[in-house]
Amino acid sequence: MNDVSATPSSEAAKSSGRAPSTLIRLSKVGKSYYRGKEAIEVLKDLDLDMAEGAFEALMGPSGSGKSTLLNLIAGLDNATSGSIQISGAELSRMSEGERAKWRSQNVGFIFQTYNLMPVLTAAENVELPLLLTPLASSERKKRALTALRVVGLEDRSGHRPDQLSGGQQQRVAIARAIVTDPKIIVADEPTGDLDRNSADQILELLVKLNKELNKTIVMVTHDPAAAERASIVRRLDKGQLT
Amino acid sequence: MNLASIAVKNTRRNLFRTVLTVVGVAVAMLAFLLLRTVLSSWTAGVEYSAKDRVATRHKVTFVMWLPKRYVDDVRAMDGVKAASWFNWFGGHIVGKEDQFFANIATDPKSFFDVYDEVALPADQKQHWLEDRRGAIVGSALARQFGWKVGDKVTLEGTIYPGLWEFNIDGVYTATRKSIDQSSFFFNWEYMNEGAPAPAKEQIGWIITKVPNPAQAAGLTKRIDQLFDVRDIQTLSMSERALNTSFLGMISTLLKAMEIVSVVILLIMMLILGNTIAMGVRERTHEYGVLRAIGFMPKHVSSFVLGEATCIGLFGGVAGVALAVPLINQGVGRFMEENFSGFFPYFRVATSDALIALGLSVVLALVAATIPAYQASKLHVVDALRRVG
Repeated sequence: MNDVSATPSSEAAKSSGRAPSTLIRLSKVGKSYYRGKEAIEVLKDLDLDMAEGAFEALMGPSGSGKSTLLNLIAGLDNATSGSIQISGAELSRMSEGERAKWRSQNVGFIFQTYNLMPVLTAAENVELPLLLTPLASSERKKRALTALRVVGLEDRSGHRPDQLSGGQQQRVAIARAIVTDPKIIVADEPTGDLDRNSADQILELLVKLNKELNKTIVMVTHDPAAAERASIVRRLDKGQLT
Repeated sequence: MNLASIAVKNTRRNLFRTVLTVVGVAVAMLAFLLLRTVLSSWTAGVEYSAKDRVATRHKVTFVMWLPKRYVDDVRAMDGVKAASWFNWFGGHIVGKEDQFFANIATDPKSFFDVYDEVALPADQKQHWLEDRRGAIVGSALARQFGWKVGDKVTLEGTIYPGLWEFNIDGVYTATRKSIDQSSFFFNWEYMNEGAPAPAKEQIGWIITKVPNPAQAAGLTKRIDQLFDVRDIQTLSMSERALNTSFLGMISTLLKAMEIVSVVILLIMMLILGNTIAMGVRERTHEYGVLRAIGFMPKHVSSFVLGEATCIGLFGGVAGVALAVPLINQGVGRFMEENFSGFFPYFRVATSDALIALGLSVVLALVAATIPAYQASKLHVVDALRRVG
């Protein structure tokens, strides 16, 4: 991993005045689920471009398809139709194994319920994605501590999740999401389980990751205050952007 | 940190359940080792059989008699160092019919020539040789009934009816494990005098000692050839084969015990399988997270199998650690002292302990196979939706 505190290339692009390039491109994307023999169309012919370094919020009522869209962008699921290109890579052509490898290198995940392993310390939880890399143990530990430093929790590296507050656990989850230095961070209701104060801290951290480390962030949220922090807010209803 | 260390740490996830499962596996392994030790101890007599002794019995079955004159014919053969004869008496102490012990009539003079591992103080030996009603008893048997030299013992005969009074002339020990220390040997002449007419001058079997174990196989053939033309034919075999044929009588019981030991292992596997399956069900969401961040199905199944291996190994080690002192120092001593006729050496065999350890791991892996497969087949999005 590059040092997560380093300034990436697109920050240079921003400072040089170059327009950020398109990182995520969805063309005519459809997604259907089957309940028995009945097909339920969740996304319909959706076209969407997201620029590199953007911080986008997806909002919409329950069942509007925002989480489905997030899953497709993150490579967790396959579209029923259409094309999803991320950094030039066509996700719909990848096998399950190829997508898993792609995710480990390109996407960081932040979930509503943190999803840390309770038997591991904060540092070990952050180190977890690095087990999939050929890095030596000492290097993995070093990078995990660097990521924890970015989220302001270096001093809690030896604590287990049950010894941390909800806000701190979510910051550990963010450190886990950035430790592999991914281009994209997907966040599914990252403040949904937090009080206002902790939620604000998490949102500030996401803004910092976006502005200082040029991470492209796609966030699903119901919280208007959270959406306000995003540079672009997109609304979905019945599987279509409105 | 690596995948293996995470699997070990995962066993602490629900410590109470893990401890209960480990205890379950340990108890199952203890029961398994106890049964295996009973089986191996029961057959130990066969393992310890002398290689330089040949047994000759009636060709049809060992419950039919041979004429006593056959002993002299055997003694006259080339390559025979010594020969003695024996009759199964089948008596019991009046009022203690349920306390079985082997009581055998023999010729005291030739007995020590074939069973040179029997150790008896010289004065006791001399006394037995001169006492027509004399008997010597193994030290374990003497301890069991509280007998000492000079006591009088009355046995009620079953094959040879009536009450038979014996004098305890000696208490023997053994320098090798090829003879148990819970038998009752007495003078054949005394039995022959009181035997009913058809049983007079009849013997149960002949034990022949050869100078060299390599000659034993050849001698068995020559003995049987010698008596092939007589009115009663013989079947000769090594002492090991004779002991094996005695074991044949209880082979059904031994088989049943083997089956029980397998059933115990199956129960253990079900306990483990249930624990692992519960763990997988509870962690479905977590496996979804792992898959999301790039872990492959093989990694997820490795977590499940690794955790199962740990629990199986912990249980196996605990079971063996519990079983070895309990059996060797407790149950084993009691069995050797009180039932040495059946269990001359009641100890956990190293091979059995290693088998138990191996089985605890292998069965844990087998038990975890289906949960591991199911965990690896989870669809990421479905797993992430699952709560609890």
